[in-house]
Amino acid sequence: MAQITLENISKFYGDQQALDDIDLTFTDDVTTAVVGPSGSGKSTLLQLINGLEIPSRGTALVFGKPIDYQRLPELRLRLGYAVQGVGLFPHLTVEANITLLARLAKWDPERIKARAGELMKLVTLPPAYMERYPHELSGGEQQRVGLCRAMMLNPQVLLLDEPFGALDPMTRTEVQREFLHLQRSEARTVVLVTHDLREALKLAERLVVLDRGRLLQHGTRDEILENPAHGFVRSFFQSQLED
Amino acid sequence: MRTLTIFLIAVALSGTRAFAASDQTVVVGSKRFNEGYILAEIIAQVLEDRGFRVERRFGLGGTLICFEALTNGNIDVYPEYSGTLAEAILRLPRRVSYAELRDIVKQRFDVDLLDAFGFSNTYAIALDRGLAEQRGLQRISDLARHPDLRFGFSHEFLNRHDGWPGLARAYELAVRPVGVEHGLAYKAIRESKLDVTDVYSTDGDIAKFNLFLLEDDKHYFPQYLAAPLVRAAADGRIKEILDELAGAITDDQIRELNAMVVVEGTSFAAAAHHFLSGAGLLTSGRPHVEKNKWTILVSRTGTHLKLTLVALVAGMIVAIPCGILAYRIRAISRPVMYVAGLLQTIPSIALLAFMIPLFGIGAKPAIAALFLYSLLPILRNTAAALYSIDPVLKKVSVGIGMTAWQRLRYVELPLAAPTILAGVKTAAVINIGTATLAAFIGAGGLGEPIVTGLALNDTSLILEGAVPAALLAILTEWAFEGLEKLMIPAHLLQKPAE
Repeated sequence: MAQITLENISKFYGDQQALDDIDLTFTDDVTTAVVGPSGSGKSTLLQLINGLEIPSRGTALVFGKPIDYQRLPELRLRLGYAVQGVGLFPHLTVEANITLLARLAKWDPERIKARAGELMKLVTLPPAYMERYPHELSGGEQQRVGLCRAMMLNPQVLLLDEPFGALDPMTRTEVQREFLHLQRSEARTVVLVTHDLREALKLAERLVVLDRGRLLQHGTRDEILENPAHGFVRSFFQSQLED
Repeated sequence: MRTLTIFLIAVALSGTRAFAASDQTVVVGSKRFNEGYILAEIIAQVLEDRGFRVERRFGLGGTLICFEALTNGNIDVYPEYSGTLAEAILRLPRRVSYAELRDIVKQRFDVDLLDAFGFSNTYAIALDRGLAEQRGLQRISDLARHPDLRFGFSHEFLNRHDGWPGLARAYELAVRPVGVEHGLAYKAIRESKLDVTDVYSTDGDIAKFNLFLLEDDKHYFPQYLAAPLVRAAADGRIKEILDELAGAITDDQIRELNAMVVVEGTSFAAAAHHFLSGAGLLTSGRPHVEKNKWTILVSRTGTHLKLTLVALVAGMIVAIPCGILAYRIRAISRPVMYVAGLLQTIPSIALLAFMIPLFGIGAKPAIAALFLYSLLPILRNTAAALYSIDPVLKKVSVGIGMTAWQRLRYVELPLAAPTILAGVKTAAVINIGTATLAAFIGAGGLGEPIVTGLALNDTSLILEGAVPAALLAILTEWAFEGLEKLMIPAHLLQKPAE
């Protein structure tokens, strides 16, 4: 049983249809990028997985079971989550941000310290940063801290919503490299929402292409590049990869 | 179980003051004008002299507040005037004798009107003593024969139906008086710009300006006989002792005492002691010792802080959770804000007065009123701070799996803390200011000298309360700034505009 399956899901906001009958199983332990133009429903699809969005029709299954919407915090602790704009808590130090969930989960202090140190090393942040506040860090550094926080509890699934969106190209390349490094050392199922097709091709083995709430194609990077299933997919790829 | 019952009964009994006279505390009240304070001091000192412990609740806001405090049992005794009792409290349509008045208050309110002190504080017609002797004027009716005299009356007296219009009719006076500001009339007489004016018969300034009071030979003015008004339920010994004061104070004596306070700046306590020892009414012969000014200031400041702090803490306990609820439950947000806003629009004096039927007088109603005032700033800041938290942070805290309680405890409240603290600070400063008004209902504190000073028109006395209150407000501001620095990381505090 795959970790994440979306069964015939539609999502409406009033009359507006955000997702139209999405039927999709994410492959375990690889990175899947969700791509498509803005307004195609990428973020909505991601948020179905951690219950921030509730489907109007259909079922979201995570870890083999339909989501129990009464017990979301429990589920979410097993799903790392990072967003554009980072969302680090400004009143907490880097260390406190990274370790917050582990402390709430009453982890042993030694274990917390070890795990936080390990993550900081993986994303090449100096240990001295532990005591700093987020506003004292550059955008790229903050993004890395955000990744560390998402991975603190070593979740089997990582949900990333445009996590590198706000970074300048140089920094983005750097952070993307850290991410690949991380993924190689601790492989997990990653769902990455991005509007940047180059980023998707660089970081993800598999792609999901959305347009106006419909699933146009799902497959490995090469399958889709070689056999775009749809005129839109072809033109989307062309327009994105040309310049 | 049985011991518990006995204990509870004992506690209940201790509240009803069912102890022997020597242990018993008598609460003496007074209205807020100089003669009221002096008479209350006289009552208090006589009782103290005979072994009672006395709690002074002086300077209560007005006749009705005093009377209600008495009937509610918040105070045991206060000095009142027969005329005020008949007109303002009982609203009797006709004049009644002192004995009738006594029966009526006893029947209707279970209150004992004791024998009067002796003097009557009523309107009187006054003129320069020299002029009176020169013209041979003794009685008001003599005025009719001197139509050349210049009459000037206070505006209130000119317009009251029991003032000039009635007086002119009763004595068939055909002169045309002018309206004069009361305070200026005395000066005008001294400078011979005016001959005749109205005065309160016990006014301390009468002697200072060497005025002569004409006899009300047709008994036109109602009598305002001052007397102790005592709860019927109070200890019988109190009435016995206070009966010794019956007829003990003459018009001249009360005028002298008023003058001591108003003109010479003697304290009420010293003036009262001067009278009592002169009249031989003190048995213990203890000399009067003026309390140290600084001790008084410290104790007033302590009371003031207590009122403010208790109200503030109670306000925080209620308003912060309500602010959180208003943030979490949209439906109640508006009603909660409206109610708190409405409370804020009630004038402080009115709010204090509303608290009297519920809590009596003293610290309790004052704390209740201050508590209500502190709600809005704390409530509004709490809700506003929570609403204005960056939506990305809210979304992330949900998305990473924090429960509602954890989000509140570890993310939302810490981020809202600076604004909530600012709300608490606002409430604290407002409370320190408003608490000065609490003296009107007998709560004490720094408002006490302000209230007394207002009654005596004594600016330096007003400043004795106003300056420490202002300093206290500034200190509070500083204390909160220090608290902010301790509690909140510097980068989360808003810096003042450069």
